[in-house]
Amino acid sequence: MEQEGKKRIWSEYQKEIADDHYFYVRSCIRQTFFPGSETTFLKILRDDLSRDVFEDARHTTCTGIGYHTDIVPFETIMTIAARHFALMTEAGYVNFVPSCVTSFGIYTEILDTWKHFPEMEAKARDYLWTATRREFKIPDNLSHTSDIIYRFRNELAELSGHRLVNKNDGKPLKVVEHIGCHYAKMFPKCGVGGAEFPAVLSGMVEAWGGEVIDYPERRHCCGFGFRQYLIKANRGYSLSNSKKKFESMQPYQPDFIVANCPGCAMFLDRWQYTIAEMEGITYDKSGKGIPVLTYEELAGLIMGYDPWVMGMQMHQISVEPLLDKIGIVYNKKDKYLGSKGQYIGVPQPPHFLLQ
Amino acid sequence: MGRLYERLCEDLRCLEGLKSCMNCGVCTAICPSAEFYRYDPRKICDTVQRADDESIEQLLKSDTIWYCGECMSCKTRCPRGNTPGLLIMALRKLSQEMGYFTDSEKGRQQFAIRRVIGDSILTTGYCMRPILVNPANHPEQGPVWEWVYNNLPEVMDKVGANYLKDGPGALRRIAPEVLSEINQIFQVTGGQDFFQLIEEFSKDKADEMCLDAGELGGDNAYFSEVYTKNSGNHH
Amino acid sequence: MNKTIVIVGGGPAGLEAAAALGSSPHHVLILEKEHNTGGKLKNWHHLFPNFADASEILKSLEKSLPLNNSEIKYDCDVFKMEQMDGNLLVSLKSGEKIKADAVLLATGFDLFDAYKKEEYGHGIYKNVITSSELEGMFVNNSFPDQLKDGLPKKIAMVHCVGSRDKKAGNMHCSKLCCITGVKQAIELRKYLSKSSVYNFYMDLRMYGQHFEELYQEAQEDYGVNFIRGRVSEIAEISDGKLQVKAEDTLSGRPMKMIFDLVVLLIGMTPATSAASIAQSLALPKSGSGFLAPVHQHISANETCIPGLFLAGTCREPLSLQESITDARAAALKIIEWLKLKDNH
Ligand SMILES: Cc1cc2nc3c(=O)[nH]c(=O)nc-3n(C[C@H](O)[C@H](O)[C@H](O)COP(=O)(O)OP(=O)(O)OC[C@H]3O[C@@H](n4cnc5c(N)ncnc54)[C@H](O)[C@@H]3O)c2cc1C
Ligand code: SF4
Ligand code: SF4
Ligand code: SF4
Repeated sequence: MEQEGKKRIWSEYQKEIADDHYFYVRSCIRQTFFPGSETTFLKILRDDLSRDVFEDARHTTCTGIGYHTDIVPFETIMTIAARHFALMTEAGYVNFVPSCVTSFGIYTEILDTWKHFPEMEAKARDYLWTATRREFKIPDNLSHTSDIIYRFRNELAELSGHRLVNKNDGKPLKVVEHIGCHYAKMFPKCGVGGAEFPAVLSGMVEAWGGEVIDYPERRHCCGFGFRQYLIKANRGYSLSNSKKKFESMQPYQPDFIVANCPGCAMFLDRWQYTIAEMEGITYDKSGKGIPVLTYEELAGLIMGYDPWVMGMQMHQISVEPLLDKIGIVYNKKDKYLGSKGQYIGVPQPPHFLLQ
Repeated sequence: MGRLYERLCEDLRCLEGLKSCMNCGVCTAICPSAEFYRYDPRKICDTVQRADDESIEQLLKSDTIWYCGECMSCKTRCPRGNTPGLLIMALRKLSQEMGYFTDSEKGRQQFAIRRVIGDSILTTGYCMRPILVNPANHPEQGPVWEWVYNNLPEVMDKVGANYLKDGPGALRRIAPEVLSEINQIFQVTGGQDFFQLIEEFSKDKADEMCLDAGELGGDNAYFSEVYTKNSGNHH
Repeated sequence: MNKTIVIVGGGPAGLEAAAALGSSPHHVLILEKEHNTGGKLKNWHHLFPNFADASEILKSLEKSLPLNNSEIKYDCDVFKMEQMDGNLLVSLKSGEKIKADAVLLATGFDLFDAYKKEEYGHGIYKNVITSSELEGMFVNNSFPDQLKDGLPKKIAMVHCVGSRDKKAGNMHCSKLCCITGVKQAIELRKYLSKSSVYNFYMDLRMYGQHFEELYQEAQEDYGVNFIRGRVSEIAEISDGKLQVKAEDTLSGRPMKMIFDLVVLLIGMTPATSAASIAQSLALPKSGSGFLAPVHQHISANETCIPGLFLAGTCREPLSLQESITDARAAALKIIEWLKLKDNH
């Protein structure tokens, strides 16, 4: 692998990422499965980087999952998007930052459509006015939350107490980065590093001392497929695509996986469990599975945040082996306790997967 | 040029998704669906560009158009600048408008999606919420999720969410006046009518299959049928 | 009256035009930006369709240069021209200016820069090479060691790299990469006798004399495999081998194959070294960016600028034979033009 070749490609995709004053919109999937990641993102930006992030409680789903399961028409979703732009405009912000990769894709698609079909933008303004009496300005900057962390990766490296290095042998941890399809595959220019060799996560990993693995199925979809997961009868699609990725990354023995899309992170975590239970297979040597992290969790870890406050106990694949490798001190007993330290039960152990 | 073809061409996603296809197979080569199903996005493009209504109708009534995962991986690579995934979205829209979707096993699943995701959007302001991921329907989620699910308020509180409460934060309750704005938008933009259309065609089909589709939610025989039925004839 | 004809570019087309002008009374000046003549031809080993030795052909082209009226100046990079009293003033990067009664642009083509097809990983995966680099390996006998260990090798030839591709900015067909792919497949089969070679193509454009026959020979005598499907993605696997994804469109199934070497059949793109010249004269370009003649059918060598002519691959992808024929046609047009000019 020649790094120079990659750098040449990266130099073509230098996307602009706003520096401060973000209008933040949440992700349904991230809130459901990784709510602590959103908390962590806000803490890092506000407390560690002293940035201004505004959240309006009146924002909603972008309806992206409805759009990509084909029950929500384009006219509807673009007007929902327009409403979010209106909330941003009313709050006096110009930098729009969605937490979800599906949403990010939706916003890029809508803005691109409006550019090519201005009559659609006019329609959106009209619909929005009729429905809500709101008006909006198009954001100056649209960045995904992973873009923002990417932008501050070096600052975070300086502030951080940990590096992505195995404390036992001093070697960089080997990391699989998985980029959500809708981050840059639709509009390569909208993603850091483009679609083929995205740099948004690999840039973080490298800045924080880890080593990125390039495995053959790196660019393959995690297999969410919207309707292909949501409908029980279709789930084989989802599973088989994730499986293909695991088989392809296995020979490289990754220490962990990091994803910028909340759906991908959840699937890559859960399908390892399902495959282990169904077939008795794990893709790491220890039989515990490969930990899967969101980039917020990863940033939080190097910044010394408590893994259980970040919600890493919500993963099916235990993260402790990774924490031990990095040398993070954590309290084993606290993992499954409630916010006030109360006992709220513990998950059943899986049958095959080791804890 | 036939009627269906013309209607397809009115959809921006058809215009954007299919300019002209040279049958190179680049899209199929990396399509996650083509690897799993008997599915070939190249052939879909070729069928549509032939502009033959009979074949388009067949397509709209088939399982085929429902195999795509809308990952849009095909957009990155097509040397002609097409996006088969977008074309699929236009086909699915038309299939639902014409009522053809109830002719296929995979198409009928739209009913379940409308009931779950559609209702969730309109009544809560979320596409997806923890409570929808019921471990009984989602064994693949594993025991940790089951634990989360059984302790939602406590776990969500611990990780800093604002679970079902007012004000900003993860999983906050979305205020009624906001929901009424969302419903208004669905009214004005045709989203509501589209939901209604899916309901009506599905109910007709349910009648035909002698299954009850209920008025709301997933607690009915037609829902269970479309949500779980897999004939295994898709590979 | 004797006139000065400047030929920009000492590739095959420029050399042949000079030879054809040898019988005229005019002074012919070839301006070549490199230290030597021959253009791309000097990088090729054996030529399709008959495996003629490229260096021999180049020698004979250079030998036929008339000594009496022609002159070659090396390291002369032409970058600008202007019209002046019915003549053309040719500016070199060095600052030197030369007055010409007629100018022939024989600036040739550029090879498509394969890195732009990011999904193929050229410049990132070391076993992904271009057809031009493969020629270089034949010329210098510099095959990488891992290919020469005597073990069976699997090699993929990828057609249409940087051609017929909106994303790469080139809609045109480069016309010669198909036959180059067939030729190189045969050469690889000869050189690495235990190898198997797979050509991934969309259409095989075997338009020339003996091209189709060579295709058949490749299949029948050399067992070259042809798969109808354009390559979508190349990825490296752990031992430097390459995973290639394409659809076998004839069976309608996606496929994944592992190769030891992948050869990208890179296309021909408009020469960047002619861009500033074209700009200075507001010379129109064809859709794909090659220099456009006044009339595609009946005056393919003439431009809208009086006294300015085109020959060879600066105007469209051409084979060697076609470039040479084209150069002769252009020479004839130049002689006619200078006669006309004299009569005025
Ligand atoms: C991979 C590959 C393999 C090929 N193999 C064969 C084959 O086997 N058989 C065959 O028939 N054909 C083959 N061809 C085609 C053949 O190379 C061309 O037909 C031929 O080179 C065209 O000659 P040309 O003079 O038009 O251009 P070029 O060969 O490109 O020569 C142009 C010359 O102009 C000079 N020049 C350019 N700009 C300026 C400037 N501004 N000032 C001064 N000088 C300038 C350049 O330095 C160069 O010397 C192959 C092509 C490729 C891409
Ligand atoms: S969008 Fe659909 S057709 Fe395109 S690659 Fe993804 S699954 Fe295949
Ligand atoms: S990649 Fe584009 S041109 Fe090729 S088969 Fe698919 S849609 Fe057609
Ligand atoms: S000659 Fe063949 S390989 Fe080259 S662009 Fe044309 S079809 Fe493609």
